Amino acid sequence: MASNIKYPEDSCRWFIEGDDFALLTNVDSSGTVNTTERKSWKAIQESVTDGILLCYYAEPNNVTSLGDVPDIDNSLHLALVDYVKKCLYMDEAGQSQDPNSSAVNVNMSMMHQNRWDESIKKFGMRKRDKTGGSRVILPSDFR
Amino acid sequence: MSVHNITVKQILSRIRQVFPDVPETYVMNLINDALVEAGVYNSKIVRAKISTAADQMWYNLRDIAKDSSNNVLEVNKIFKVYFMDNDGDYIQIPRLINTNILLTDVTDESVLTVPDSK
Repeated sequence: MASNIKYPEDSCRWFIEGDDFALLTNVDSSGTVNTTERKSWKAIQESVTDGILLCYYAEPNNVTSLGDVPDIDNSLHLALVDYVKKCLYMDEAGQSQDPNSSAVNVNMSMMHQNRWDESIKKFGMRKRDKTGGSRVILPSDFR
Repeated sequence: MSVHNITVKQILSRIRQVFPDVPETYVMNLINDALVEAGVYNSKIVRAKISTAADQMWYNLRDIAKDSSNNVLEVNKIFKVYFMDNDGDYIQIPRLINTNILLTDVTDESVLTVPDSK
């Protein structure tokens, strides 16, 4: 079922507050503007099945068995090894009685932490970017 | 032909090269922690549809929130929103920057999240 809003790009707005998504409009259920300059937005006035399409970063599914493949792009799979190793090295550092051994473990943990950060936070977006090919520059039309 | 993926077992075998006695359950928990952290970044992009209700301003995006097909949304960050127009096409709608709006309808207030009763 379609909505009664002809130009959603002009009549609808959204924002996020905490865990809640707010959908606003300035038209009533028949698509007629019913807001004023002061009270410019109000809640959506009609029920529309599948009315909103969201694009978002989602939580990957968790793994539960040894045969599971992590639910992220395979270019990021090796980063998981770094994450696990940085945690295990830090565990070792905490348990070790020898200060030298502990320092080595902390250094190893930091190394894997840096590799994890670079893989996921710094270059993760670039790694799994599917855009390729040459770029075309369109100069501005000054006419 | 299939792409090269690494299973949990293969991750575990790589870990055990250095930590031979590490329990597999612990490694699996750490992998799940890593997946939660990776999910905050651009690692899994999803598109989902939800239905609107008349006079409802707020729509829940908590971990248990579901879409129109009863699938769990698992939202981390929304970057685009489309709304269905009168032809049934989805048109991208802008995000409101100044969210200090007036709630104009008394009906809007009936769907506000209220404190827990306990």
